[in-house]
Amino acid sequence: MTALLTVSDLRKAYAGVHALDGVSFEVAAGSITGLIGPNGSGKSTAIDCLSGFQKLDSGRVSLEGTDITGKPAHLIARAGLMRTFQTVRIYERLSLRDNLAIAAQQFDPATWVDEFFRTRRYRDAIEASEVRANALVDLIGLRKYYEIETGILSYGQKKLVALAAALMPHPKIVVLDEPVAGVNPSRIREIEVALQQLNGAGETFLIVEHNVEFITTLCHHVIVLEQGRKLTEGTAAAIHTDPRVLEAYLGLSPEMAEAEMRGAA
Amino acid sequence: MKLAFALLVALAFGAVPLITSSNYIVGVGVSALMFTVAAAALNLVYGFTGLLSFAQLGFWGIGGYATALTVMTFGGNFWMGLVYAAILNGGLALVIGYPILRTNRHAFVISTLTFALLAALIARDWVSLTRGPLGIPNLPSPHAFGVVFDTTHKFYWIAWAFAVAMIAFLYALCSSRIGRTLVAIKQNEPLVRAQGIAPMPYKLASFAISAAITGAAGGVLTFHLGIIDPSFLDFYYMQTFLIIVIIGGAGSFWAVIAAGIALSALPEVLRFSADFRMIIYGVILVAAMFAMPAGVAGWFREREVARMREAIR
Repeated sequence: MTALLTVSDLRKAYAGVHALDGVSFEVAAGSITGLIGPNGSGKSTAIDCLSGFQKLDSGRVSLEGTDITGKPAHLIARAGLMRTFQTVRIYERLSLRDNLAIAAQQFDPATWVDEFFRTRRYRDAIEASEVRANALVDLIGLRKYYEIETGILSYGQKKLVALAAALMPHPKIVVLDEPVAGVNPSRIREIEVALQQLNGAGETFLIVEHNVEFITTLCHHVIVLEQGRKLTEGTAAAIHTDPRVLEAYLGLSPEMAEAEMRGAA
Repeated sequence: MKLAFALLVALAFGAVPLITSSNYIVGVGVSALMFTVAAAALNLVYGFTGLLSFAQLGFWGIGGYATALTVMTFGGNFWMGLVYAAILNGGLALVIGYPILRTNRHAFVISTLTFALLAALIARDWVSLTRGPLGIPNLPSPHAFGVVFDTTHKFYWIAWAFAVAMIAFLYALCSSRIGRTLVAIKQNEPLVRAQGIAPMPYKLASFAISAAITGAAGGVLTFHLGIIDPSFLDFYYMQTFLIIVIIGGAGSFWAVIAAGIALSALPEVLRFSADFRMIIYGVILVAAMFAMPAGVAGWFREREVARMREAIR
């Protein structure tokens, strides 16, 4: 498999603390890659840096061979990297329809002139966006809320809206920041299924998550960070039993950690 | 449907000078139209984009002075004056907006407030240009195509045509994808960026467009009054624009237009009680805010949301 996203030697320090201390990894095209690590290991900083929401001190990020290092967030998004946020971000006072339409609007060729004159280009863009939105709404199972403002949805449903919005413009890669944190366990399974379906249809995901059970069921490849460095990486199964990971994660002996993780999930 | 209704109301307002011969009522009409335009412009930048701009007062005053000075000092006519007022204010908004839109929202509010106070200071103290507290009186009546707009009734048509054009333009803008993007920026700016949209050009454009329209509206009202002096930069005007936007419901286009007309007329309607009218006006405003904290439009919206909640349960 070829690397879609390549991150090399990412460094970022806050007031002397090395949040990222030379992290390198790759995300293969068509994969679901997990990024895990204990609190403060630099997961969030890593994805903030590679999506342009934080300036990195040094390192290189490239998407399909194109250098996107240090570009502003909106240009990285236009290059094809869409992300969600840990604390869910959606337009709470707009309908689900508008939430999805806005997410795609920067990616169609129609300008305000096209819109004013309702040109062919504008109508085609709107139609394509509607088709995509309808497919995603069915996938996340929120059809009956389509015209309703998203503020009244539950937390888990909002996470699904954020996921659908990130998928709207057919991005090359979707980076999910804790997609199931704070989500009702019964709904986690729904998200898993949705992600697997999307991945089956060719979408690539990079997922940052605390829920180890979720990561191990879903991911083909897992990267483990600890204190700003990459501890190890490998298949989900290998990671799950790696004593170093267990120790880093919980500071416990492997047996105890294993039991702890099962409990947490 | 909504547009047809708006068109009908616009035509009804156009007919005001035909219905009444009272200079007083028609004069109130001119002010009401200009206040409504300025409030609609504030709604663009505050209600839609989420930027509370006190600079509107500065743009209003600068627009008034620019139009008056074009005619009295620089030998232009009223129409050119309006165009200059719009261009000058749009340009000023770009120049001050570019740095201050990079600060946080609180700093933006303070910076715009400072701008408005500075504009008032210049109007009063740059005597060689503005004649200071004496003001610029005896502004001539505008004329076009051989018609001199020398009575309040005739001048009303100018104000009406200007208001209809500006409101139509703002409506087209606010109801487009650009308007929707402005709302998105107000609600969640990081998300907008994550979706490939750069917020800055949108914020800057809405600030500049709002400035240009406010300035031209100030220019029109100045020639209705026939004089401009530093009191044209009194905070009373800013307060009026803000009250209209807040009571109407920030971010709701038509509610703010309706509130503009209603609230410009309200103090006049209360003239039956000359001593207490401003107190009554104040009480009505406070009561309205108690009953409808998100404005009239917000009140309807909350009912709508409650209905939706009920429906999906």
